[in-house]
Amino acid sequence: MKNSFAFLSALLVVPIFTPARADQGSRLRFNRDIRPILSENCFHCHGPDEENREAGLRLDVRDAAHEYAVVPGDVEASELIARIESEDPDSVMPPPGSERALTPAEIDSLRRWIEQGGAYQSHWSLVAPTRPPAPEKSAGTIIDAFVDEAIDRAGLTPSPPADRAVLLRRATFDLTGLPPTKEDVERFADDRSPDALEKALDRLLADPRYGERMASDWLDVARYSDTYGYQVDRDRFVWPWRDWVIDAFNRNLPYDRFLTHQLAGDLLPDDSSATAARDRVLATTFNRLHPQKVEGGSVPEEFRIEYVADRVQTVATGVMGLTYECCRCHNHKYDPITQREYFQLAAFFDNIDEAGLYSFFTDSVPTPTLSLPTDDQERRLSELENQIAAAERTETAACETTVDPIFSVDFDDDVAAPNRSVPGVSGQAIRLTGDDPYKTDVGNFRRSDPFSISLWIKLSDDTPTDRAVVLHRSRAWTDAASRGYEMLIDEGRLRWSLIHFWPGNAISLRTADRLPIGRWVHVVVTNDGSSRAAGLSIHVDGRRSDTTVLRDELTKQITGGGGDTIALGQRFRDRGFKNGAIDQLAVYEGVLTDEAAANLHRNPSGRRAEVESIATTLRTLRLDRDRLLDDVDEIMVMRELDKPRQTFVLARGAYDQPTQRVDPGTPACLPAMDDSLPRNRLGLARWLTASDAADRHPLTARVAVNRLWQICFGVGLVRTPEDFGSQGAPPTHPELLDHLAVEFIEHGWDVKRMLKRIMSTDVYRRSSNPATAEVVRSDPTNELLARFPAGRLTAEMLRDQALMISGRLVNLIGGAPVKPYEVEFSFKPAKSDVGDKLYRRSVYTYWKRTGPAPEMLTLDAAKRDVCRPQRERTSSPLQALVLLNGPQYVEAARGMAEETLARNIDAATSDDARILADVYQTLTSRRVDDDRLKILLKLLNRQRKLFRDAPESAREHLTIGKSPPREHQDSVEVAAWTVVIGTLMNFDPCVMKR
Amino acid sequence: MEPMNELNPSGLSRRDWLTRGGLGFGGLALAQMFRGEVASAAGVLPRLHHPAKAKRVIFLFQSGAPSQMDLFDYKPLLREKHGTQLPDEIRGDQRLTGMSGNQSSLPLVGSPFKFSRHGDSGMWLSELLPHTAGIADELCMVHSMHTEAINHGPGVTFMQTGSMFPGRPSTGAWLDYGLGSESEDLPSFVVMVTKDKGGQPLVSRLWGNGFLPSRHQGVRFRSGKDPVLHLGNPAGVSIESRRASLDALRQLHESPSGPSRSDAVADPWIESRIAQYELAFRMQSSIPEATDFADEPQEVLDLYGPDVTNPGTFAANCLQARRLAQRGVRFIQLYHPGWDHHGGLPKGLPRQCKETDQPSAALVKDLKRCGLLDDTLVIWGGEFGRTNYCQGKLKPNDFGRDHHPRCFSMWMAGGGVKPGLTHGATDEYGYNIVESPLHIHDFHATILHLLGIDHERLTFKYQGRRFRLTDVHGHVVDAILS
Repeated sequence: MKNSFAFLSALLVVPIFTPARADQGSRLRFNRDIRPILSENCFHCHGPDEENREAGLRLDVRDAAHEYAVVPGDVEASELIARIESEDPDSVMPPPGSERALTPAEIDSLRRWIEQGGAYQSHWSLVAPTRPPAPEKSAGTIIDAFVDEAIDRAGLTPSPPADRAVLLRRATFDLTGLPPTKEDVERFADDRSPDALEKALDRLLADPRYGERMASDWLDVARYSDTYGYQVDRDRFVWPWRDWVIDAFNRNLPYDRFLTHQLAGDLLPDDSSATAARDRVLATTFNRLHPQKVEGGSVPEEFRIEYVADRVQTVATGVMGLTYECCRCHNHKYDPITQREYFQLAAFFDNIDEAGLYSFFTDSVPTPTLSLPTDDQERRLSELENQIAAAERTETAACETTVDPIFSVDFDDDVAAPNRSVPGVSGQAIRLTGDDPYKTDVGNFRRSDPFSISLWIKLSDDTPTDRAVVLHRSRAWTDAASRGYEMLIDEGRLRWSLIHFWPGNAISLRTADRLPIGRWVHVVVTNDGSSRAAGLSIHVDGRRSDTTVLRDELTKQITGGGGDTIALGQRFRDRGFKNGAIDQLAVYEGVLTDEAAANLHRNPSGRRAEVESIATTLRTLRLDRDRLLDDVDEIMVMRELDKPRQTFVLARGAYDQPTQRVDPGTPACLPAMDDSLPRNRLGLARWLTASDAADRHPLTARVAVNRLWQICFGVGLVRTPEDFGSQGAPPTHPELLDHLAVEFIEHGWDVKRMLKRIMSTDVYRRSSNPATAEVVRSDPTNELLARFPAGRLTAEMLRDQALMISGRLVNLIGGAPVKPYEVEFSFKPAKSDVGDKLYRRSVYTYWKRTGPAPEMLTLDAAKRDVCRPQRERTSSPLQALVLLNGPQYVEAARGMAEETLARNIDAATSDDARILADVYQTLTSRRVDDDRLKILLKLLNRQRKLFRDAPESAREHLTIGKSPPREHQDSVEVAAWTVVIGTLMNFDPCVMKR
Repeated sequence: MEPMNELNPSGLSRRDWLTRGGLGFGGLALAQMFRGEVASAAGVLPRLHHPAKAKRVIFLFQSGAPSQMDLFDYKPLLREKHGTQLPDEIRGDQRLTGMSGNQSSLPLVGSPFKFSRHGDSGMWLSELLPHTAGIADELCMVHSMHTEAINHGPGVTFMQTGSMFPGRPSTGAWLDYGLGSESEDLPSFVVMVTKDKGGQPLVSRLWGNGFLPSRHQGVRFRSGKDPVLHLGNPAGVSIESRRASLDALRQLHESPSGPSRSDAVADPWIESRIAQYELAFRMQSSIPEATDFADEPQEVLDLYGPDVTNPGTFAANCLQARRLAQRGVRFIQLYHPGWDHHGGLPKGLPRQCKETDQPSAALVKDLKRCGLLDDTLVIWGGEFGRTNYCQGKLKPNDFGRDHHPRCFSMWMAGGGVKPGLTHGATDEYGYNIVESPLHIHDFHATILHLLGIDHERLTFKYQGRRFRLTDVHGHVVDAILS
C-alpha cells in the first residue's frame, strides 16, 4: 500500500508557477484558492450529486461542511484535515486508488483557509457579474489597468509595443482571417496619427470578410457540417444558415439577438417584414445541425433523444459554458445541476415534429422545415395560391359521375402462397402472413389527384392492433419516412395518411372508434386533392367515420422513393397485417361520395360507383403549384408543436427508460426565470440574454466576451471556454472578465465594439517577444500577458493566405459549399471542383462529418461533431507535409511566382535581391534583413541550378493544381521561384500570428 | 516519452528542448503550454501498472459482423430445427432491430457449412476457414462476447471506443496517450482499411482521439502512392531540392537577426517548427521503407497468398501490419468490411473468408516465425453476432441473418492469451450465452491488462470528469490469460 501510494504521488504534477495567486500569509479566497482543490479531489464523492454522496458528507456548501469537516478557525478539530493527513490507508482521503491526492502546498492552503475562518463563496461564474472598480493607473485603457496590475504585482516587465507591421498583420488576421496587403502595411506604417490603429480597426471591422472570419469560429460552436453524420452521412442542405451567420456578423447583429434568433427565431412576434421573419426562422437551423441517423433498423426514438441531447449540450457548452451533458445520467458531480434540471432544459428543445431517422430512400428534408423559395418562385407561388383559393371558392360544385374502378380484385382465384385463400365477404378473400405483400399495379397518385380506395378487411385474434400495415403506396416506413400514402391499424383504429416526410409533412386522420375483431368490415378511404386533412375521409361500414386529425401540413410530393403501386399487408421493415384478411379491393380516380360508400357496403360485389371529380382548372392549378413547390429548397428549422410533447427524466439517460414528467425550466443555481417569460425557447433565450442588472444571466456575457478575447489572444481569460463550472479553469483576470461582460451587456451586446475595445489596448499591441527571460521563467503559460501570446494561424487562415498571395482568391461571399483539392484525399474522397470553386475561402469548404477536409483537420480545425468552443493547437510533422506538399499550397506558391515574374519581366539576375525582398514582405508583412536575404538568394540560385539540370522536373512542377501554367514564362525560373516562395510560406512569420 | 508537463521553455537550450521535449510523430500538444492545464498531461504513464505480456496489438477488425454460427460456434441443433420457429423462451425479451423486428415469423437456419475439430485442442471450426484451422492451437477462441448495440454505427463505435455514441477516444488513441510511441519516426497507432470493399461504411472517428489531444489519433495508411497525406515531394521536386529548402528554412529560423526571436529564451514555437520539419523529412524516407515489400522473401509472400502483392488488400495489409509491428508501431488496426450478410449468406460468406482466412492465419504464423507472436496480441472479430434465424424469406439455397448483440465469437492469439482455449459457451440454439459472458468493456479491460495497464487507472480529465476506455465498467478476464 505504501508503495502504491508513493507511486500515486509521483503521478501528480505540481504546477511550476501559478501567477496571480495569493502569497503566503495573505488572505485566501475560496473561489480562487480553495474550490479548485476541493472540486478536483473531494466533490466527486462529497459534492452536489446526492445519489453518490459518501458518508452523507457534502463539502461544496458551507453549512454542510461546517458541521464537522471544516470547523472555522480550528484546524485540528476539522475532520477534513485529519482525513487528508491521515496515514491510515483506511481513513486517508482521497482514498488510495482514486488517482487523486493533494500536494503539500494544497494541504497548506486548506489549513490556512480553515484558520482564516473557512469562508465559502458561491462559485464565481454562477454569480452575475457587476462592474468592478478599475485599478488606478495613469496610462492605457481600463482593460490595460486590469492586466497591468497583475503584471506589476508579479514584478514583471511587459514587452514593448510590437512593430507596426506585425501589429497590423495581427489585427488583420484577427478581424478578417487574411493577411494585410503590402500597401495596407505601408499605409499603416506611415500613418503617425494617434488614432492610426483605431482607423485601421474600423476599416477591418467594416470589411465584409470580417463576417467570414467570425463565422469560422461560430461554426465550431454550432457543430456545422454539410452532411448528416453518423455512418451513412449523406449531404444535406444547411449552408443558407452559414450565410445567415456571416451576414449577422457583418451587420453587427447584437449578440443577444444573434442568440435569440438562433434559439427561438420561429417564436419571435411577427412584427417585421416577411424577409426578416424568414431570416429569423432560418437562424434556428442552428438547433438542427447535430448529426442525424439513417442506418436501417435503428430505433428512431433512441436517436431523436440524442438530437435533443445534442441541442442541450450545444446551448449549455456554447452559450453558458456549462457541462450539462454530465447530468444526463445522474446529478452533476461538481456543479450544482441535477439530472432533473438537465431534462428541464431538454424540455425546451424536445418540442418539434421530428423523426429520429432521416429518409434513406428519398431526399426529403427532415421536418420541421422552412421553404426557401427564390424571389421568382415566391412570386409565382403567391399567384398560384391566389388562383387556387379563388378556384376553390367558385368551383366547389364539382360534377358527379359514375365510374368504374381503375383497378379491382375479388380474390376469388387462388392467391400465391404463403398468403392463403379464405372464405371472403363474397366468394374468396386473401389472408395475409404479414411478411408477404399482395401487390397491385396501380396507385401512383400525386397529392392533388383525387382518389379513393374501397375494400373489406377482417382482423383475426392475433393480428397486431397496435400497429399493422393494411395497404400502402410507399417504399418503406422509417427508411423512406413513409413517403406515399398508407392505411394502417393504429392502436386498434384505422389511420389514413398522405405523407411527404413523417411526421412533419403529412396529412393524417384516425377513426375515433376501434375496429372490431373477427368480422368483415367495409372500409373506404378518399383524398380530394386539397392537401388538407379535411380533404381526407374514412368510411367504415358505409358511414363516414368520426376522425381525429393527427397531422395537417402537406407541402411536397407524396410520390417517389420507389414502391410505386399499392401493396397489401406488408411493408419493408414495418409490421404487416398478420393473419388479417382482405376482400373486394377497388381503386377509383375521384372521391367516392358518401352515398357511393354506403352502396359499396350494401353490395360487396358492386364496382361502379359515383365519384365527385374536381374541376380541371383547379386540379391543373394545384398540380402547377405542386411542381413549383417540389423544386423549392427546404431547410431544417425549429417550429413548436401545437401540443407540447411531454418530456421525462430518463433513467441513466436512456431513451427507453422514462421516469418522472418534467416541464421546461431553468436550474435553481442560476437566476430564476421571470414569471412573465413564456416557458419555451423564446423564454429561454430572453432568460439567457436578460440585460437588466437585476436578472442578468451570470454566464452568457462572460462566455461571449471570453470567446472574443480568445479570438484576439488565442486563449480566453477562462482557458476552458467549454467549462465555466467548478472543474473549469478559473479566470486569469476575474475582474477584467466581469468588466468586459458588464460593458458588453450595457453597450447592447455590440460585438464589433467589444472587439475594437479589446484590440485598442496596450496589451493587444504588445510584442510577442518577452521583455526579459524572467517573464517566461515565471509565467511560462503567459497567463499575465506581459507579452502577446503567439500562436499558429488557423487552418482557414493558412489556406486563405496562400490563396490570397497567389492572386487567385475569389472574393465572393456565401453560397453552396465548395470542394477544393483536399476533399480528394479525405477518408470519404470526393471529386474536387474546377475553376473558381477551388479558390474560395475555407469557410466554404465542404464539411463531411465522417471524413472532414483532411488538410484542415491536420491543421487542428475542429471536427464539428459536437460543440467545441476552442481548437487544439498542435505542431506535428503532418502539418509540415501539408504546407510543403499539398497541391493547394504548391499551386499557390506558383501563382505568386508567376505573378512576380510577370511583374518583373525585364528584371536581370541583379534584381533578385529586390524581388526577393518584395516577396518576403508580401508573405510576412516585414522587411527582410541582410542575413535572411542572403539565405534566400542562395536558395534561389540552388533551385535554379537544380531545375536547370533537370528541366523536365521544372515543367512537371508547374503542372500541380488545375490552373494551367502562365504562358511565355521560363519554366526553370518559375519552378525555382515557386520553391523559394513555398519555402517562405513555411517560415515562422508567415505561419504564426505574432 | 517525457511527460510534456516537465517542459519549461526557459532555462532550456534549444538542444535540451528538442531532446527533452519529445516531439513524437503525432507532434507536440502546444496547447498545454497555453491553457495552463499542466496537470492534465500527467496521463502519460511514467511506467506500467504491472509487467506487460503484450507490447503491441494487431486488431483484424471484421466490419459488418461475421456469422459466428457459420464460422466458429458449431450448432448442430440448428440444422435439425432448420425452418422451424425460434422458440419464444429462447428469444426472451431481446430487442430486435427494425429490420427483422416486425417479421411475423422467425425461422431458424442451420449452417450449410461443415464443421470439424482441429489441432490438439480439438477446436471446432467451419470448412470455410482451412488456414485458420491450421493455427487452431494458437487461438484463444471466445464464444461468449456480447454487446448492447444492435446496429453497425453504434456497434463498431462501441468496439473501438467503449461507447456506442461518437465522441470517445479509440482504444489505439488511449494506448498512445498512456504509453506513447516506441518509434521515432512512425506513428504508434496505424489504421489500414481494405480497399474497394462495399459494405457498411466506416468513419474516421473510429480511430479518432475523441477528447484526447489530437496527436493520439490513429494515422491511416493509404494504399496508394502516399501512405500518409502528402508524404511524397510534389512532382518535380527532388530530394536535393527539398533538402536545400529545409536547410534554408532552418537557417531562416535560426538567424539571430530576426525580430521574432529572442536569444534569451528558446521560443517553443520556433523550436517545434524546426523539429517538425526535420521529422517530416525523416518520415519521407522511413515510411516508404516500412511500406515497401521488396525485401520480403518469396516464401513469406506465399504465406499470405496471392493478394499480398496487390496493395490495399487484406493480405497486403496483414503483411504491412507485421512490418509495422517490427518497427515499433504499438496499435495496428485493420478493417475488413463486407460481413453484413442480411441476405445471400451462402455465397457471400465464403467470399469473405477467401479474402481473410489465409492472410489472418499467415500473420499469426509469420509473427511466430519472427519471434514477435509472444508479445503481439492478435485479435480477430466484428462488432456483434448474427441471428440464428433468417432475416426475410428462408429459401432453399439462400438466407440471411440479422444483427445479434447477445452473443458472438472472436479469437485472439499471441501476447498473453491462452492458446488452444475455447472460452465461454452459448445455448444449443446459439442465441444466449450460458457460460462466462465477456462484455466489450471486459474485452477492453483485458487488452489494457495485457499491455500492462490497469484499465481503471488510465484516465483523462475532460470537462471536469475523469474518463476511461471502460467508462465505469469492465473486468479483466483472467480465464483467458496465459
